[in-house]
Amino acid sequence: MTDELVKPRVSAPLTERGARVEVGAGARLWRRVWPPLMAVVIVLALWQVVVTVGWRPIYVLPAPAAVGGALSEMLVDPKFWSALGTTLARAFIGFGISVLIGSIIGLAVSRSRILRSAIGSLITGLQTMPSIAWFPFAILLFGLTEQAITFVIVLGAAPSIANGVVSGIDDVSPQLQRVAHVLGARGMRMYRYVMIPAALPSYLAGLKQGWAFAWRSLMAGELLVIIAARPSLGANLQFNREFANAPGLLAIMIVILVIGVMVDSVFTRIANGVRTRRGMGVVRL
Amino acid sequence: MSILKLSEPSLVAQPGPTIRITGLTKVFGRRGQETTALSEVSISVKEQEFLCIVGRSGCGKSTMLNIIADLETPTGGSVDVGGRKVGMMFQDANLFPWLTVEGNIDLALKLSGVAAELRKDRIQELLETVQLAHVATKRPHELSGGMRQRVALARTLAQDCEILLMDEPFAALDAITRDAMHEQTERIWGERALTVVFVTHNVREAARLADRVVVMKPNPGRVGSESLITIPRPRTMEDPRVAEAAALLHDMLHTQEMPDD
Ligand SMILES: Nc1ncnc2c1ncn2[C@@H]1O[C@H](COP(=O)(O)OP(=O)(O)OP(=O)(O)O)[C@@H](O)[C@H]1O
Ligand SMILES: [Mg+2]
Repeated sequence: MTDELVKPRVSAPLTERGARVEVGAGARLWRRVWPPLMAVVIVLALWQVVVTVGWRPIYVLPAPAAVGGALSEMLVDPKFWSALGTTLARAFIGFGISVLIGSIIGLAVSRSRILRSAIGSLITGLQTMPSIAWFPFAILLFGLTEQAITFVIVLGAAPSIANGVVSGIDDVSPQLQRVAHVLGARGMRMYRYVMIPAALPSYLAGLKQGWAFAWRSLMAGELLVIIAARPSLGANLQFNREFANAPGLLAIMIVILVIGVMVDSVFTRIANGVRTRRGMGVVRL
Repeated sequence: MSILKLSEPSLVAQPGPTIRITGLTKVFGRRGQETTALSEVSISVKEQEFLCIVGRSGCGKSTMLNIIADLETPTGGSVDVGGRKVGMMFQDANLFPWLTVEGNIDLALKLSGVAAELRKDRIQELLETVQLAHVATKRPHELSGGMRQRVALARTLAQDCEILLMDEPFAALDAITRDAMHEQTERIWGERALTVVFVTHNVREAARLADRVVVMKPNPGRVGSESLITIPRPRTMEDPRVAEAAALLHDMLHTQEMPDD
């Protein structure tokens, strides 16, 4: 009876086909590198065009080659490295403190309803405040000191980081929280094992944004708060302007840009790694 | 002997039921647009009973399990589990996406207080129960829907509970895996002396597994009928008596789908 309803049919096996295209490591690297490289080339070309047509005198807007020369000279100058060291140390300390404070405030706000209504919108408000506007007050408070700079960096970066924590925790799927609740996660254990890991992608996005704010605040700070004994990238920018050294000024700007981009790309890579491991990557359709 | 016996609704609770649901009502939504998910549901579940709940979509089965698991508060009535630990397997797998398959089970063990040195063996054992030892280090998004559901089952079994609530746990499985899962569930139910409340759309699955089947009516969700399944165990899905009981349950489910005034 079964034979009549379900009749087996034997079909020939399909032969394997399709040779896979092997992609070498070199080719893969090249595929990642050429688009930004292309962008740099285009910018340099446009720059050269603007210089060649003589829009501005050459001592105000030097050619890319001149800036390249200044840059390579600068890179072998120990004074540059000590200035860079000062700037990076400030960035590291300021951002570190921001991470600490931002994370603690974020966790506290996400946990407490009272704190949330008290300072939740203040945090978002602080984020929109241009950090340079804090400097006059910071200088009044701390004088022309390291603390003034750190103070402004923290005010610029910590709100973004706190916001990353809060929105990450707010967005944890209620269904996952239910699962965890049934599994016996309560209070601190719920936070430690479920809420915080679930909020990690949003936290990383907050760190990335916080870094951008910290770096901007730091540069503004180094322009305004020049401490005589401590040369820094920002102070060097100012000196080069005063001595009308346009190639040197642009060379420092390139260094500032490159550092900002490098740190940002580290955050981006970490964030993408986390997202991919969770199956949250971009779907290409 | 009949394989399916209509039983009196257990309005009058037997001595010492494990779960006592009395006059349970749940209304969702704001005033003016309420949905009555459950209306005056009373069921009591005996110790070590395997109770199946069948009913069409939207008749409040998941809502009832959520209330038993203390994830939702009832609008009226009460649920009493006598302070017993309740485990639940949800309709969707809901694995923790940042953890591997092992990690998910490990966390469940950790949360029920199993010591670190015992966990490795338990994870292995649980993965073998659901036949997934080969994907231990994979992440949830790398699994098929049915595999995810089996990891969720392993994770549910990892918790040390006396009452196990299961919400359509095997709906996404192929027939062969599902049969294996039925055997495992039945085995664990027996070994650990669990009380199980199992929701399904599949009347045959209910006839295969249950001591007793509650058929629910929709709009609003309430108890239609209760029947005892008296087919001796072990049973299989192919057993003609299971098929016959399923046919009877199917009829009950359908006569209740008539709109009632
Ligand atoms: N959080 C909620 N808010 C509003 N309405 C809800 C909510 N959860 C469930 N409902 C409603 O309650 C009713 C019962 O839902 P429930 O999920 O319990 O059904 P179910 O019997 O589990 O259905 P299925 O078999 O499809 O899973 C449905 O009408 C649904 O729309
Ligand atoms: Mg449901």
